[in-house]
Amino acid sequence: MQYRRPGLDRLSHALLALCCLLFLLPVWLAFTASTHTLGALYSQTASLWFGEAGWDNYRHLLSGSFGGLGTDVLTLLINSTIMALGIAIGKIAISVLAAYAIVFFRFPFRRLCFWLIFITLMLPVEVRILPTFEVVADLGLLDSYAGLILPLIASATATFLMRQFFLTVPPELVEAARIDGAGPWRFLRDILLPLSKTNLAALFVIMFLYGWNQYLWPLLITNDADYLTIVVSLKRLLTSTDGLVPWQNVTTTAVLAMLPPVAVILLMQRYFVKGLVDSEK
Amino acid sequence: MATLRLNGIHKRYPNGITALHGIDLSVADGELIVVVGPSGCGKSTLLRTVAGLESISDGELMINEQRVNALEPAERDIAMVFQNYALYPHMSVFDNMAYALKNRGTPKDEIRRRVTDTARLLDLAELLDRRPRHLSGGQRQRVAMGRAIVREPQVFLFDEPLSNLDAKLRVQMRLEIRRLQKRLGITSVYVTHDQVEAMTLADRLVVMNGGHVEQCGTPMMLYAQPATRFVASFLGSPAMNFLPVTAHRDGVVLPNGVEVALPDMLSEGRAATLGIRPEHLVEATSMADAAAVLDVTVEMLEPLGADTLAYTRLPGLEEWLVVRLDGAHAAREGQRLSLAFAVAHCHVFDSQGARVPLAEPETQACQ
Repeated sequence: MQYRRPGLDRLSHALLALCCLLFLLPVWLAFTASTHTLGALYSQTASLWFGEAGWDNYRHLLSGSFGGLGTDVLTLLINSTIMALGIAIGKIAISVLAAYAIVFFRFPFRRLCFWLIFITLMLPVEVRILPTFEVVADLGLLDSYAGLILPLIASATATFLMRQFFLTVPPELVEAARIDGAGPWRFLRDILLPLSKTNLAALFVIMFLYGWNQYLWPLLITNDADYLTIVVSLKRLLTSTDGLVPWQNVTTTAVLAMLPPVAVILLMQRYFVKGLVDSEK
Repeated sequence: MATLRLNGIHKRYPNGITALHGIDLSVADGELIVVVGPSGCGKSTLLRTVAGLESISDGELMINEQRVNALEPAERDIAMVFQNYALYPHMSVFDNMAYALKNRGTPKDEIRRRVTDTARLLDLAELLDRRPRHLSGGQRQRVAMGRAIVREPQVFLFDEPLSNLDAKLRVQMRLEIRRLQKRLGITSVYVTHDQVEAMTLADRLVVMNGGHVEQCGTPMMLYAQPATRFVASFLGSPAMNFLPVTAHRDGVVLPNGVEVALPDMLSEGRAATLGIRPEHLVEATSMADAAAVLDVTVEMLEPLGADTLAYTRLPGLEEWLVVRLDGAHAAREGQRLSLAFAVAHCHVFDSQGARVPLAEPETQACQ
């Protein structure tokens, strides 16, 4: 919609700018706070500008263990990355295969299968967290990457999204591939997956963020500091010391925790734009 | 090189609908068979069962006298050109054409040779690196053809391949397909709903209706001696004129009492239909031994250039009588014309729509 009213234009731009500022403010606060010394953070009101301890805070954080967590920030980042990648890749692999079966194969109770998957959308992680914990504990997966990843790996949302995309693939394409001698695996690999590239990229970003931001589940099943994730560690930092909360560490860690998701988004954005600009269909 | 034979092919869907009621057809090596009919007549289903995309409920499908009912499409060694081309959008023209060969494990250099040869044959050599979306409709059509040709299949199947093209390109591609098919000599089945395409392309024509084969034969034979009223109405444009008649001692009588002298062939008093093609109605003055003369009024004219179509009205009849006049004819709307036709050009169909033979029929079975 485009109205020829300059006043309206200016107003909507002002609103947009205001919203951007509102969204950016916490990030900016965390970023500037991560460059102050602990003393400065406690002695003054919230500063909106950089302090003088920026490099020291980051160097200190990256150079060794801190805050009594029994681990260092690099391990936290690696743990989080492994968990987020595992969840994202696992979810995509499972949902692509599930959607592939549901859309392209005729088997008894196909529709029932779809609805069973779909119904799990209504059960969030929190609702089934105790039984899941029980199962994972019985399997001996507490304090392990498998324990962090596997229970979160099945996704009704992703299956549903992939199904919707697969349904838009023209049936003639499937038939042409059959005549060209492509079996089910070849069709998936040579035709369906390349066509789904942009959808997969979008799903990957969403699922990576979902995995990265997991809090409750990792908190429950990890006691060993070697499997602590960075999001969980943020909360621990707030309570781990007897005296003052090391705010400079908390904010620095928070900034570091933001970087990988931002990197993933920036990396995948190229595929989105490419997908939008030269659509394959 | 191959022959194709269908023995009593039935197709029933799980929901109880029967699409094909026992199709018998035999296609000789190198022959181009066109299957034509209105939408929903089962012609596409027939093609898809031959391709192996639909299972066969009953009957036998033989390629080179080998039963192939249970074989996968790829194992039948057929190639199919789809209506919307079904090119793989993310692959280059080269990869589109090479895909089937690649899946068969053909050596790389042979794939390259065959694809470039086929591309040259179809004028696609310049386009091999392009993606389908960067091609025009006609070019996509040729890629779809190329993808079929490059495999050197036993049988070509065409599923309305020209219906997405504009009229001019359609005529051009029609000639192209004919030329290629003759040159390569590949046994082909071509499905279309366009009767002009059907007439011009076919070595033999199969007219289908409601899951049955209505008639089968050379295009000119079907045009001259349609076995049923359906075939008569389907082939030819404008369509054949049909007049309701009653059998009479010396022929048939029109509702307005005009008698048409025809050889004795129906028992007196039976209702029938008399069919006359628009080009077979001529001015009475130019015909000596007419079966009958009809006095009509011209109601509308459609000048086409070479011909003029006159939509005329016969007193006492509801139907138009369409006449193909010479383009130079000086007819005006409202003018009265006396039209005559010869016995040889009369088609009589009984109340079931079957042809009533006026002379010794020329028979040609589908087998």
